[in-house]
Amino acid sequence: MSIRRLILVLAAIAGTAAAGTFEDAVGPLLESNCLPCHGQSARTSGFSVEDAESVIVGGARHGPAVRAGNPAGSIIVRVLRGELGPRMPLGNPALPEADMAAIENWIRQLDPRTAPVPDRTHWAFVQPRREELPATSDVQWARNGIDSFILAKLEETGLDPAREASRETLIRRLYFDLIGLPPPWEEVRAFVRDSSPDAYDNLVDRLLGDPRHGERWARHWLDLARYADTSGYEGDPENYHTWRYRDYVADAFNHDKPYDQFIKEQIAGDEFVRSLSAEPLPAPGPEHVVALTFLRLAPFTEPRGERSRHELLSEMTSTVSSVFLGLTAGCAQCHDHKYDPIPTRDFYRLKAFFATVYIAPARSGDIFQIGGPQPAEFYRPGEKEWADEQREQYQNELKATETEFEAFQEALLAKLKSAKREESRKASEAEAGEEGEPTLRDLAKAIKEDGADGSGSGQSALFSADEKRRHASFRRRIRVLKDQILRVEPSAMSLRTMDPPPYGPSVPTTYVLNRGQWDQPTEPVEPGFLSAVSGHSRPAELIQVDRYQRHPGHGRRMTLANWIASPENPLTARVMVNRLWQYRFGRGIVETSSDFGKNGAPPTHPELLDWLAVRFADEEWSLKALHRLMVTSSTYRQASRRHDSRAQETDAENRLLWRFPRQRLEGELIRDSVLAVSGRLSPSQGGPPISPPLPAGLENELDSQYENNFWESSDGEEVHKRSLYVFQRRSLSLPILQIFDAPALAASCERRRTSVTPLQALSLYDGEFVNEEARHLAKRVRDQGGGGRASQIRHAFQLALSRSPSAEESAQVMEFLAEAGSEEEGLVGLCRVLLNSNEFVYVN
Amino acid sequence: MSTERENDRKKGTEPVPHTIAAFQGGSGAAALREGSPVPLLRSRRDFLCGAWNGIGGLALANILADDLEAGPAALNPLAPREPHLRRKAKHCIFLFMGGGVSHIESFDYKPALQKYAGERLPRPEGLTGEVATALDAPHIAMPSLWDFNRHGESGRHVCSLFPHLAQHVDEMAFAFGIRLDNNNHGPATLHLNTGSQFPGSPSVGSWIGYGLGTPNQNLPGYVVIQDPRGGPVNGSAVWGNGYLPASYQGVRFRSSGPPILDLERPADLSREQQRREFDLLKWLNAKHGERQPGASELEARINAYELAFRMQAAAPEVVDLGRESAATRKLYGLDHPDTAGFGRQCLLARRLVEKGVRYTLLIHGERIGQSSWDHHTDVKGRMPRNAVEVDKPVSALLTDLKSRGLLEETLVVWASEMGRTPYVQQNNTPDPKPGRDHNQNALVMWMAGGDVKGGSKVGATDEFGIGGIDPIPLHDVHATILDLLGLDDKRLTYLHQGRYRKLTDIGGHVLRQLIA
Repeated sequence: MSIRRLILVLAAIAGTAAAGTFEDAVGPLLESNCLPCHGQSARTSGFSVEDAESVIVGGARHGPAVRAGNPAGSIIVRVLRGELGPRMPLGNPALPEADMAAIENWIRQLDPRTAPVPDRTHWAFVQPRREELPATSDVQWARNGIDSFILAKLEETGLDPAREASRETLIRRLYFDLIGLPPPWEEVRAFVRDSSPDAYDNLVDRLLGDPRHGERWARHWLDLARYADTSGYEGDPENYHTWRYRDYVADAFNHDKPYDQFIKEQIAGDEFVRSLSAEPLPAPGPEHVVALTFLRLAPFTEPRGERSRHELLSEMTSTVSSVFLGLTAGCAQCHDHKYDPIPTRDFYRLKAFFATVYIAPARSGDIFQIGGPQPAEFYRPGEKEWADEQREQYQNELKATETEFEAFQEALLAKLKSAKREESRKASEAEAGEEGEPTLRDLAKAIKEDGADGSGSGQSALFSADEKRRHASFRRRIRVLKDQILRVEPSAMSLRTMDPPPYGPSVPTTYVLNRGQWDQPTEPVEPGFLSAVSGHSRPAELIQVDRYQRHPGHGRRMTLANWIASPENPLTARVMVNRLWQYRFGRGIVETSSDFGKNGAPPTHPELLDWLAVRFADEEWSLKALHRLMVTSSTYRQASRRHDSRAQETDAENRLLWRFPRQRLEGELIRDSVLAVSGRLSPSQGGPPISPPLPAGLENELDSQYENNFWESSDGEEVHKRSLYVFQRRSLSLPILQIFDAPALAASCERRRTSVTPLQALSLYDGEFVNEEARHLAKRVRDQGGGGRASQIRHAFQLALSRSPSAEESAQVMEFLAEAGSEEEGLVGLCRVLLNSNEFVYVN
Repeated sequence: MSTERENDRKKGTEPVPHTIAAFQGGSGAAALREGSPVPLLRSRRDFLCGAWNGIGGLALANILADDLEAGPAALNPLAPREPHLRRKAKHCIFLFMGGGVSHIESFDYKPALQKYAGERLPRPEGLTGEVATALDAPHIAMPSLWDFNRHGESGRHVCSLFPHLAQHVDEMAFAFGIRLDNNNHGPATLHLNTGSQFPGSPSVGSWIGYGLGTPNQNLPGYVVIQDPRGGPVNGSAVWGNGYLPASYQGVRFRSSGPPILDLERPADLSREQQRREFDLLKWLNAKHGERQPGASELEARINAYELAFRMQAAAPEVVDLGRESAATRKLYGLDHPDTAGFGRQCLLARRLVEKGVRYTLLIHGERIGQSSWDHHTDVKGRMPRNAVEVDKPVSALLTDLKSRGLLEETLVVWASEMGRTPYVQQNNTPDPKPGRDHNQNALVMWMAGGDVKGGSKVGATDEFGIGGIDPIPLHDVHATILDLLGLDDKRLTYLHQGRYRKLTDIGGHVLRQLIA
């Protein structure tokens, strides 16, 4: 319960305490009639009569049971009188009139001004208010509305905001925040020297317009979308086309796609199309098909019929709810939500919007049957030409490789045949010989089990080590080429609405499932919105896409998407502005950014949250406008240093933002930054995932019998693309990312943890990746800094930390370089140290 | 048996959610925060003030800075913590047999199957799922292909494929007829190792690290040693930290070379140069810190480098089996190719326990390849191969731990992700090399060490080993493992996305019959 509501409840109870009517009259009679089912422990339907407060607050099904001052309008009275079914007490006679009078009297005496408003007025279920900016005594500090709210709270608490951070700090902060890379030293110098009044705003605009902005913020969204390039579970098969969704997300942020549109495309991209004539429904545009990948990103394994479908649709329902609405509706799958007014029925009403989802069957050869893609032409500029070219190139190479492999295998096969013949001559008695000529499959098996590998036969090796190696590498190469061809096929890992009757089945009925068990259906339900938010449990009015009723299942998901992506929805805008706030300030105004329910954290600045949410919808759901508003605020421009010991006492956690919170870079940003300063970051954007080489030994140990499950180490410049493009394998993360708290890629992750472990130190200090880049950085330093040590030191700092060293630092490093065994050792050592420094991985 | 569990269930009213913070005296309000695994401290600065010149008196392994530099986050999430309950076991070795060991050819003695050999089996009442469907179709019952004999004072029947393990039955406690949520490897492996068949939950070892920390900060608290032939189904998700912080990840020890990834300094870097670099790094970090007074997350990172430096010495030492006597090496079967693989894993596990590692996961079997227990064909040929690979090494582990007085404080758990069907996989054609299909209803597990009551058992499968009579939910087994390590599953919670998550989901019931 939020503090605000608790106070209201207590006030309401206090108002009646004098009368004493609940404890004396109402409590005992409710206790004797209702307690077995509505006691504190049973809490059927989330309703308890344990005390006045519980009765007023009500249960999960109907919300508040009491309307203060209005007995006739109170749920409890209506249920006891049988006006609202089922009449209570269930299976027992109705309460005598005298008892009813006692209850009604008690309700009549409650003061409506202090009693809790209807239950769905948990703050998050009420429309955000158009808040006035609060007055502050300091009228200089605030640059925009954000600052007024923040400052008002600080003043209330007697705290001062921090001074503005230095220009060097601000540009570094903006770079990481908006594009996820460190600022080049020249940029820092130019910005520091730029005395024009709009220097800061210009910088913000430039970074928001930089295509790397989309890459940076796509990573946050992909965490929420539980994005991965594989399905997980056994064999961890690849989903060949999910990368197109990743590029779609980056584009959406770059083009400032209005957030409401972004929502609709991901939930119902295929349902924008309508048919006004008798013609068939037009096919959805490719971008919309790609966007729908969002619904397909759950981990998936060999299906088991209806059970798997139930799991898939339930996962979609839960994820849509937590990502867009910030509600843990998934908790209501088996029982009424424990904390929020979300009855189980509501979960299945929500799930019913997804009942007409159609997933293409697995393509042939997909032994794990993870399901097929949807056609989606390449639509990004130049992408089609690029894909055609790639496909042709891979196909040619595949053909050539296969021919070559065939010839190579012929020779081996001949060898195997003669060996077999020899063998059967020896064992002329019986068994042998009947197997017939060995096939290519036998060959593969024979190579795998050949003597020298020690697996079994004990005989001497038939094939040379080189033959085995070549055989394996041919097979790998062919597998890689086939994968590459699939990846550039014009498809998306997407879905669509089922074919309508008479071509497909009737629209499936959705049932409430007993305890969430797929095979225990109970009550049938219609698609409907969460009653706690909409205020009713009526079926939703479904969009009809044609006048002939030929597409009855089409439009369900769009109906839901329209309800979510509406300024009237009290949650959607709040949840998204809060996410942006969290990624920027390290913690949301609501700390539990995917749980705006009663068990979530209350907002630290509720008025600010509302003000931002209203403004977001007003400004046509522009995320860039929101970014700009936040980063140009004085709040954002504060220094991170602890400037005030009093504030440290009062608000050690900096919830009121009396300074900017220092943040550690995510693993992806550490890798990207290392590459950026070594000068080797590939600027190329988009495209199929890359697989930077794994540390030695790791791949072999995770290799398996499944031919499609290995790490296809990329080569060439593309391995130095940003971490956003690294292949996201659910059974194996790139260690440098995993060790720095990369998400498990299994369920929506709204916020990353920040662990500090010795293994991170080992990875950054001893790992091949950082050491190789340290050598490149050293070379860059030498190339730019010339032969002089002082100049080299200066360049090393400028490249790695975007600043010049202090005199003291220079002197210390000078000494360090002098002690090193060689100039090379010293310089590489310095670079390694800089890449490991706290300053490198923390942003002030 | 069933009544006792029944009672336990009734007693198990709604658990009061506790995070570690809560039972260590943190405020309830703080416990409501996402995560917050925290020993709450009023001021972290008090703790870390002046730690610039080294680690001070604090043995800090991992620091959970938790995004919030000044927040009351955990100082050291792996510092040893007081358990909820007084229990002898301080360490756990979990022996995971990947692929689904046939309970019928290991520990679940089913003589009645003999009568039905080659015939159809009756479908037990109430059984649902894939095995039930298969029982409705034609099928051919197959009794154990090997004899069982009674062993020890407890008289436990053990299949003759496990002669060495059979000698330890009086130290073991068995659970029969455990039921899993899913009948396939991917989800079942996750269910066994993380408590949930869906990916994304923390593994058992992560929960234990979260609950207890670890005694030796110079080594990881949670070590994974997988089969040298390859990794398990689901890969690293089997030892993942799920939604817990990365500090609780299992750390994979590699089968050759330096045990931990990136443990060794680069080849071209001398030790002296490395020391010089560490000094410079520390100096630069200290200068940086002077400009950011009181930033404990920065201090934590400095300490992590010191610890990494110490781990570089401690970890190679622990995997150096050259220090073991010839007799010990022989005991574990390192002298024979069949047993050397898992023998090495078991011997390493004992050494890790000696060094104070909290949780060790040993995996036998590679995915579901030829070297796993997934015997869809040729039980006759494959079962003996797999059995011999583990029988002697695991027996040696128990013997060795006991003789060193370590079995008292070490819980050893044996488990697979499922049992197998008492009928042949192929249901129509005569199969020259018959195998068995998956069976989620009949998992058998055993435990030894700590407060385990040797010679005890709980649960049973029906006379044919199709499924459990009053099946034991896996959550109960997990609750028992936690209990034996001093943790109450209902109090070991972590607030994540609106729910207090537990290893046992809605809570398990400790199998008291197995505890002394």
